[in-house]
Amino acid sequence: MKFKVSNGPFVKSSNSTSKMMTRLLIALIPIICLSILKNTIIVYFYTDATLLESLHPIFMIILSIITSYVSELLYFKFILKYKIADCIHELSKSFSIIPGVLLSLVLPVSTPLWVIVFGAFFANIFGKMIYGGFGQNIFNPALIGYLFISASYSSLIGSHLNLYELDTLAGATPLTNLASLNYVGSYDEIVSGYGSLLNFFVGSIPGSLGEVSKMLIIFAFVYLTITKTIKYLIPIFYVGTVFVITYVVSLFTDMGIWYPIFHILSGGLLFGAVFMATDPVTSPITKFGQIFHGICLGVLTVSLRFFTSYPEGVMTSILFMNMFVPLCDKIGLSVKNNLKKVWIYILVIVIFISMTSYFIINKISYKEENKIPVNILETKKEGDKTIYNVSSKGWGLIKATVTVENGEIISIDITDKSGETQWSELEKNDYANKAIEYQDNIDSLDAVSGSTFSSDGIKNIIKKILESELNNEK
Amino acid sequence: MRKIFKFLFNDNPILIFTLGLCSVLAITTTFEKSYIMGIIILIVLILCNIITSIIKKIVKEEIRIPVYIIIIATIITIIQIFISRYSPNLYKAFGIYLPLLTVNCVLLGSCLSYASSHSIKDSFLNALKNGLGYLVVISIIGFLRELLGSGKITIMNDISLLTGYRFIIDVFNNDILPNKIFLTSGGAFILLGLVMGIIRKLNRGDN
Repeated sequence: MKFKVSNGPFVKSSNSTSKMMTRLLIALIPIICLSILKNTIIVYFYTDATLLESLHPIFMIILSIITSYVSELLYFKFILKYKIADCIHELSKSFSIIPGVLLSLVLPVSTPLWVIVFGAFFANIFGKMIYGGFGQNIFNPALIGYLFISASYSSLIGSHLNLYELDTLAGATPLTNLASLNYVGSYDEIVSGYGSLLNFFVGSIPGSLGEVSKMLIIFAFVYLTITKTIKYLIPIFYVGTVFVITYVVSLFTDMGIWYPIFHILSGGLLFGAVFMATDPVTSPITKFGQIFHGICLGVLTVSLRFFTSYPEGVMTSILFMNMFVPLCDKIGLSVKNNLKKVWIYILVIVIFISMTSYFIINKISYKEENKIPVNILETKKEGDKTIYNVSSKGWGLIKATVTVENGEIISIDITDKSGETQWSELEKNDYANKAIEYQDNIDSLDAVSGSTFSSDGIKNIIKKILESELNNEK
Repeated sequence: MRKIFKFLFNDNPILIFTLGLCSVLAITTTFEKSYIMGIIILIVLILCNIITSIIKKIVKEEIRIPVYIIIIATIITIIQIFISRYSPNLYKAFGIYLPLLTVNCVLLGSCLSYASSHSIKDSFLNALKNGLGYLVVISIIGFLRELLGSGKITIMNDISLLTGYRFIIDVFNNDILPNKIFLTSGGAFILLGLVMGIIRKLNRGDN
């Protein structure tokens, strides 16, 4: 008798890779449609933007997909030196449409088109092909592209607000607004500027192309979970951890239940959790590994939101945790083999969460004491004039020389602005001179939209110097 | 040409053994700093290897590492004093990375693995080969990083007190380039990986 010898897997599920990717695209279609409605049609009818300007988001998505395909084709053709027929066969197995779409959906609305071309090229070549193509990559390719764009062209990608929102809303995205309030405030300060929490849920707030409508993302999550396309444990524990930590923070700072809900509904948290953290290639396989992965993601995101000057934190934490996928799988396996070990990891998780909450509460209550983040480095007197050398916290550190005569500021000379990413917006508005005009009533001067931090930095300089002048007179 | 290429890149300390990456990643933000660092390493490497080779019979195997570190540290301290005397700007720009050369694994590695068991002439030649390879690669990376990251090429700026010339070429200044990512250490890693890949591929084609 003859036996036929072959390798596993012997049980075939109907869940082939191409079916999974198709379902992922189906889940993305309503999100894309809503973002086109919000950023294209409404902009076209309610502002005086030209057709070409209002079609910008559609061009972004299409161009990103085309670049993904073309860059992979070039790699197959010129680096690996395949024949054309082989190239097309490889392309059909490589699903480069997914990083293309995801990259364009996490970028702000006003990103220039050539920046997207660079980003998509970088994402597919350096994020995917160099590691060996689809299925071999350690990092999520779309996030590599996003990281590249935000690291090298951060001054060009502009604000998250589309043209319609620039007219109607003053200020920045909800999370930037939250960061500028030092993470504490009343419901009116944090949420009411954008309507109510229902607006956050439906998606009529500013944000990048894909992330705004939480309702559609939750629908997509349910659809993808029912069809067993994504690992549902990661998003649930990710969002749950963010909820728990921010809920503890809200309890200690006398804010209501709206605060954790605001944290979940703002920014790219849900989008990242559903579509990026669950990427089949770059997420753990074991059950407990997925839970651990999700919880670590939540802790990291909250820490990045509260402790760094970048108010988002979702993309960075997903990329960071991609490195630890093998570790999470190892933990998951060891728990599967020996169920008693689960208590050790639960203890670790509880310590993680409580430490993060403790440090956040500590930071928030400390920040309330010294309000104006400006240091006076040096004071010189020249006749009637007094010259101050100050450094102020904007996005980075702004350094300036301020001249004061008879208790009135007459000139501000910015000496160092290298930390500011959106400085060009301020220069367009001649903001420093405006601030001198408004010095008696500085709070009435609005921040320049898109560069709130730098504007606040300049305002704080004026506040601090007038305060110290008053003290001198006394 | 092929002989020179082989001499420089076969067994190159950076590209093949990935030794001494600390200074390659940290100080290559300008072309000038990188080639001067390369020259310093070349000099230190040659001196160390010769001294190690001379005293190889006196030094017992158990105390090799401390003895070699003392030799390297002595030479580096002398160079440090020279640089701080003749070019304070450069001294400031190098910062901690000049004293850190003491524990640079190119220097220690070639002392330990080669010079401690070979004749003076052989260890001099080996040091020359390693040092020149290091110099070429660190200059290439510094050149590319400065060109892509800040859009200019600094050939003489910090050492202008010594030479009497200042020589900086501005190349690009537009939206696409310079690109800040190449000034970060992440960009340095990407560039190093690309250079490594290309030169290894060329080298393999040669054999």
